Amino acid sequence: MRVVVVLRLVPDLTEELEIDESGTDIDREWIGIKLNEFDDHALEEAVLLKEGSGATVTALALDGEGVDRMLQSAIARGADAAVKVEHGMEHIPDQRTAAAILAGAIKELGADLILTGVQTPEDVFGQLAPFLAAHLDMPTVNAVGGVSADGDNAVDVRQEYSGGMSAILGVTLPAVLGIQTASQPPRYVSGSKLRQAMSAEIATLSGADAGAATGAEITGLQEPERGDGATMFDGDAETVAGKIVDVLNERGLLGG
Amino acid sequence: MPDRPILVAVVLAAALAISGWRFYRVFRPVLSAPGEYRFDELWERFVGVLSNVGLHKRLLKIRYSGVLHALIFSSFIVLFTAILQAFGSGLFPGFSLAPIGGNTWIAGAQELFTVLILIGLGMALYQRVVIKPKRFEGSNKLDALLIYALVFGVVATMTLEFAFHIAAGDDSSAAWRPIAATIAGWLTAAGFSGESAEAGATFFYWAHILVILGFLIYIPGSKHRHMFTAVPNIFLRSMKPKGTLPKADLDHPPIGVQEIGQFHWKHKLDMLSCTECGRCQAACPAYAAGQPLSPKKLIMDLRDHMVAVDHGHSDGVVDLVGGVISEQTLWACTTCRACMEVCPIHIEHVPKIVEMRRTMVEDGRVSPLLQDALGKLQQYGNSFGKPPRQRAKWTKELSFKIKDARKEPVDILWFVGDYASYDPRVQRITVKVAETLNAAGVDFGILMDGEQNSGNDVRRVGEEGLFETLAQSNIDAIAACDFKRIVTTDPHSLNALRQEYGAFGGDFEVLHYTQLLDELIGQGRLKLARGEGATVTYHDPCYLGRYNGGFDAPRNLIAKAGYTLHEMGRCRENSFCCGAGGGRIWQDEEGITERPSENRIKEALGLGDATLFVVACPKDTVMYTAAVQNLGVEDRITVRDVIDLIEVAQA
Ligand code: SF4
Ligand code: SF4
Repeated sequence: MRVVVVLRLVPDLTEELEIDESGTDIDREWIGIKLNEFDDHALEEAVLLKEGSGATVTALALDGEGVDRMLQSAIARGADAAVKVEHGMEHIPDQRTAAAILAGAIKELGADLILTGVQTPEDVFGQLAPFLAAHLDMPTVNAVGGVSADGDNAVDVRQEYSGGMSAILGVTLPAVLGIQTASQPPRYVSGSKLRQAMSAEIATLSGADAGAATGAEITGLQEPERGDGATMFDGDAETVAGKIVDVLNERGLLGG
Repeated sequence: MPDRPILVAVVLAAALAISGWRFYRVFRPVLSAPGEYRFDELWERFVGVLSNVGLHKRLLKIRYSGVLHALIFSSFIVLFTAILQAFGSGLFPGFSLAPIGGNTWIAGAQELFTVLILIGLGMALYQRVVIKPKRFEGSNKLDALLIYALVFGVVATMTLEFAFHIAAGDDSSAAWRPIAATIAGWLTAAGFSGESAEAGATFFYWAHILVILGFLIYIPGSKHRHMFTAVPNIFLRSMKPKGTLPKADLDHPPIGVQEIGQFHWKHKLDMLSCTECGRCQAACPAYAAGQPLSPKKLIMDLRDHMVAVDHGHSDGVVDLVGGVISEQTLWACTTCRACMEVCPIHIEHVPKIVEMRRTMVEDGRVSPLLQDALGKLQQYGNSFGKPPRQRAKWTKELSFKIKDARKEPVDILWFVGDYASYDPRVQRITVKVAETLNAAGVDFGILMDGEQNSGNDVRRVGEEGLFETLAQSNIDAIAACDFKRIVTTDPHSLNALRQEYGAFGGDFEVLHYTQLLDELIGQGRLKLARGEGATVTYHDPCYLGRYNGGFDAPRNLIAKAGYTLHEMGRCRENSFCCGAGGGRIWQDEEGITERPSENRIKEALGLGDATLFVVACPKDTVMYTAAVQNLGVEDRITVRDVIDLIEVAQA
């Protein structure tokens, strides 16, 4: 089974985000970037499939700053190969455009199963998996919580529903899956493995020219408005803690 | 019946062969173990043996045990003359120590030390059976009792042999042997004389010989091997600086120790030398906290496993890491080094634990909390998961502009450390150190976001690859600066920079801030306003004290600030760890019955008059403040960093 797992770098939300001059994007000049958490789970699931049923795993990403390192870490985790796709665009394109370029690369690589994260902080709709499936003309399941191989041509996937139910779906390959959680939490990859993978080779594919971006366009970005119903506490940890205690006291919620 | 010399020779040869075979079987794993160079600094090594064996330096720290050991030990040396005499005369008729005093002063000495060894044995038996110190829990008591019996047998048969000789009237040393002579008097009264007394002497001669040989045969399988291994084990101890862990070869996995055979020969000699005295266990904060770690049991378990594997009966496929030594046991260690500091034969527990931790880390066998911390360290270079750019945010509180040491030359480069930089509970202290240095006119600067976690605890967790990455990044950042000395508020960073970075190309002069302040006061550059003179106690942080010898500077500062120091019983080298070191601060507290930090606060409260609990490590501030709150004793004692006591005199 040939598994391709699509990885994306996203802004690090521990940083203080600011809106840039255009008013339609965050200021990415200084912001830290990290592997999208759901993609991390997708990668883990791919490596588990490899360990469980001898799949080969290729990590795939659109080229950009920090991508080499991210792909090398994927190799440290257990991916067999890493490929980045050149796209000639200045910014990371929207998911629809991204899917078009990635699909071309996936066709070139050949894959039975494509995994990616169900969503990113910038793609809360979870568009990448369905767009990829459309471009590749494959079935897709999103919000998957665990994949197991069922022979060479099918997988069983678990999808969680509300109310504590989860369904097992049989999917015939090839298919695209949007992963929400891996069957096991992503493993720890030691520094020595990361260092070793630093010299791992990353193949480059030139992506098909996707032309202009075709996805939804952001017309404005703003910070959330503070609602009247909530009181926000400012200050350092101690001050905030003090204010919380005061509120609890006022409402008689503290024991004694 | 064959001649006595032939019989003695045959019995001796047989016993030596059996004992030798047994020794060989036990020591075989040492002979085939990986190498380790321990033959440098021979003079220093020798001096260490003299003070530890000759003077019982560490043994006497527990007075009662030390004294009884000294009695038995010295008696063994003196009574060896009697053993020599017994075998010498047995093998070579006519052999005698008489020409050098065998019948006079040597005989007298043998008598005297017979009494001393009996006192020693009595004390040992009393300790084992009546006092029963907790440190013996888990030691092999039967083994100990058997040894007492054998030693008693050696001495008793010897004395009885002499007594019968005297009764037979053929012992010219009678005048020098008051005890044997007294017993001889009783024997004569009981009717022994002439031939019957001779027969008695012969009987006890053989009994004496056989007990000695029995002892010799028994020893290879007993903890009393240390009679033979203690001296070499101490001589071959590690002479590396205390805070330097052995490197792992990252380019040639496996990293760490997976199987017992991978421990180098000195680790194995350690295992075979352990006396099961339990001093390490009594000092261990993890053991005291109810964690499944006793440094003594650890060494004993490794030893038993090593011997079992070598003998081919290792009970199938029990893994070393996670099997013989459980994961919880390995993670429980704070790397505080208390065990190594007290071990009378200088066994090295911490490097063994770290070697096995390396295996767990490489396998990804880490708890979720630890994984989270290590992941943050990989991503951000600090365990808080805060962006590097926020590292110097605390400097906003300063009344002056702090220098960026990467941009301009400074006299002192201050390596701030994670907790001091990011933890809101510690930033107050960091700010005050900065203000104090500024007031003293020190020319200093920091690395800003160029600094990363020093990696001290990362290395101790067993994450060697990440440690090297962090160390290299810091070394590069530091090397690019123009400075004379480094100062740090954090003892863990102090240890890494001073003792660990050298092996990676970073040779720096590094001070703890207490040393620098003490020096500034000495030079008259910093003048203190004397405080209100409260009585305080002081906790030695492991990585400042035991590891780096920084005992005096904090005490000097406390005194110079006008406070009275009331020491806790466990101070200086014997300080009791707060429980945070070695990466423990990133682990959960499962299985802990009493937090070491709370145990320590209770010790301080027991002093009765100390109102401040003074520390000199950011992690201590965090740990002990929490402990005081948990115990609900805020009204009795307050945790303060040394810097809190320092008030700069207004000019
Ligand atoms: S280093 Fe400290 S915690 Fe670890 S085994 Fe030794 S005494 Fe116990
Ligand atoms: S390791 Fe050292 S201190 Fe601990 S029991 Fe053995 S000999 Fe005693």
